[in-house]
Amino acid sequence: MNPIAELVAKKRIIVCAGSGGVGKTTTAAAIALQAALMGKRAAVLTIDPARRLASSLGLKELTNDPVRIPQRKFSSAGLEANGELHAAMLDTKTTFDNVVLRYAPTREQARRIIANRFYRNISGTLSGTQEYMAMEKLYELHSEGDYDLIVIDTPPTRNALDFLDAPRRMTDFFESRVLRWFLIPYMKAGGGFMRVANVAAGTFLRLVKRIVGAEVLDDTAEFFGNLEGMYDGFKQRARDVARLLQSDATSFVVITSPAEDSVTEAAFFASRLNESGLPFGGLVVNRVHPKLGDGIEVRPRQLDRLEKGDATGRLLAKLLDNESAFMRVVELEEKNLDSLARRIPRHLWVRVPYLEREAVDFPGLASVAQQLFAESGGNVSARYRTPRPKPRS
Amino acid sequence: MLLDEFFAPRILVVSGKGGVGKTTVSAALALLAARHGRKVCVAEVDRKGTLARLLGGRELTYEPNELLPGVWGLNIMPEEALGEYLRVQYHMRRISRAFTSTHFVDYITTAAPGLKDILVLGKIWYLEQGRGTHHRFDTIVVDAPAAGHMKNFLSAPAGLSDAVQVGPIRRQAEWLRAMLTDPARSRIHLVTLAEEMPVTETLETVTAVRDEVGLSTGTVFANAVYSDLLTRDEEKTFARLADSKEWSSFAAAGKSAGVKLDDEDVQALAGYHDFLEARRAIQTSHLRKLKREVQEPVAVLPFLFSAGLELPDIETLADVVEMRIDEQ
Repeated sequence: MNPIAELVAKKRIIVCAGSGGVGKTTTAAAIALQAALMGKRAAVLTIDPARRLASSLGLKELTNDPVRIPQRKFSSAGLEANGELHAAMLDTKTTFDNVVLRYAPTREQARRIIANRFYRNISGTLSGTQEYMAMEKLYELHSEGDYDLIVIDTPPTRNALDFLDAPRRMTDFFESRVLRWFLIPYMKAGGGFMRVANVAAGTFLRLVKRIVGAEVLDDTAEFFGNLEGMYDGFKQRARDVARLLQSDATSFVVITSPAEDSVTEAAFFASRLNESGLPFGGLVVNRVHPKLGDGIEVRPRQLDRLEKGDATGRLLAKLLDNESAFMRVVELEEKNLDSLARRIPRHLWVRVPYLEREAVDFPGLASVAQQLFAESGGNVSARYRTPRPKPRS
Repeated sequence: MLLDEFFAPRILVVSGKGGVGKTTVSAALALLAARHGRKVCVAEVDRKGTLARLLGGRELTYEPNELLPGVWGLNIMPEEALGEYLRVQYHMRRISRAFTSTHFVDYITTAAPGLKDILVLGKIWYLEQGRGTHHRFDTIVVDAPAAGHMKNFLSAPAGLSDAVQVGPIRRQAEWLRAMLTDPARSRIHLVTLAEEMPVTETLETVTAVRDEVGLSTGTVFANAVYSDLLTRDEEKTFARLADSKEWSSFAAAGKSAGVKLDDEDVQALAGYHDFLEARRAIQTSHLRKLKREVQEPVAVLPFLFSAGLELPDIETLADVVEMRIDEQ
């Protein structure tokens, strides 16, 4: 059975991970679409501000709250959805605000945090925030959204591994000894950093002030001050999210292309999932060049004779040349994929060939899903037909 | 365009969406500059990437090292850039590890968004000015962050000037801004694929960096474009033979040259032709849109039929880039 279809049937959450430019978002959407066709109430949550996904779903834009894709989209593509397809795009700031509202002891404290400048910067720039909030949003949809399946793609980090470390990096940041070491004396001293007794921390504070200014220090001190008493809530939630991701309900699907870098990263990522106790469920290899035939042997001398021959001969020479160029790519891709097979067994793979069309509209997305969920995961044969020019009327 | 003109600004920023071949094009530009006698430094930003492998294999560090004759490379990590900044700016000899710890860098760059970018751009400024290094580079190629982050990256100096009202960092941000917006000193080249998303993003980025950040925009490189295979006449012949299933004439032509072709072989030849044409049809329409909507010259780079790029491929690309610059 197709390993991804098996996941769609059994799991509640599918996390799509992989390096940039390998078709993560499209694959995630195609998986959710397939789930809807299979009668599930499915949602795709995208992290990437991908407007193409919105337009391929027939929406003007995606928002933090899931929107249902109308049934007529399916019927216009000649499909019948027994289930539902919903789509949302992560809004980091709004999600973070909701977290603050949930854990702040009073609304007033929440309001102070949300108005704080340092806090506003965090949701825009602190590395790991987006990943952390993606997990938060996922948890929220899972526990409150009543979905049979949620498919999420991961942020466009260049290195997919960053994604696994990011949430921890973010919680560590809040509890960082370095920060507390110099901020707590500052806060205790009522903001007067000159009065800080700790000499080293004093040097530190003076330096920070010189680099970014005193106001920034005040903002930070206020932020961390307001955060006191909320850490336990954060930590509990982080534990809940971690437990959900490690549970039987969840599966990670790694997306790759047959390119060397991408394959190396995919193998490494799968082993990291393993180490972190996160359930790896399957591999999608996108953009595979088709292998047609077993390669044609031609000697340079023969090619030369063809080129010097008649029109058909010259045409044939070009076609032979083209075939051998593609076979070189196919062989290299096979080599890369063979090395991947030593890390991830092939029965967990689905190979998706280069498609004749891009997934720019709903039928396009549906044809990606069709390729992805073809009966045999391992060998999808592709038929490529040249679009012939239509006769002019 | 003369090559000298192309390399007139010392700083060449190369950017584009993830996966389009920014690093490959950066490497090719570096090789090309070195071939013409320039001492080149190519800078990777905040990652352990493929640049080193493309250029011969030595790992990149914060200190530039020579990868190939005339081509130097470095990896600019914000943590190390902060360390250098503190040493140079505040004459701090012994820098507590706490100052360059990830948490501190995270803190300070969150407190002042854009500071991370400033630190990276600051290192490029140091290289340009020949500070903190005994090298004097004629060309500095910056393999910049992906286009999504590009506008923030390049407008960081302006943004920081607003956030931080006084102090040395504000003055320094203004120096960086001057460096980036002076067409005699910096120019940005964008890399794209002839596909829908990359083209759309490129059109947005090029407008943003040109009109909002005020950078001088150079060439848009359309990467991995399949070349023509058949002439129009040959295409007609092919269509006629394919439609009438006259595959035997291919087999016959092959036989006369001593090439044995069975049915499966002929199917493969036709299949790869059709695959190429299907891909080319997609690329052609996006390329047309790109050329129509972008003011900058578009240079088409060929698809290289080798999945794992290595130095010889970069040499080939450098040849093509040279031709394309010549045509502009």
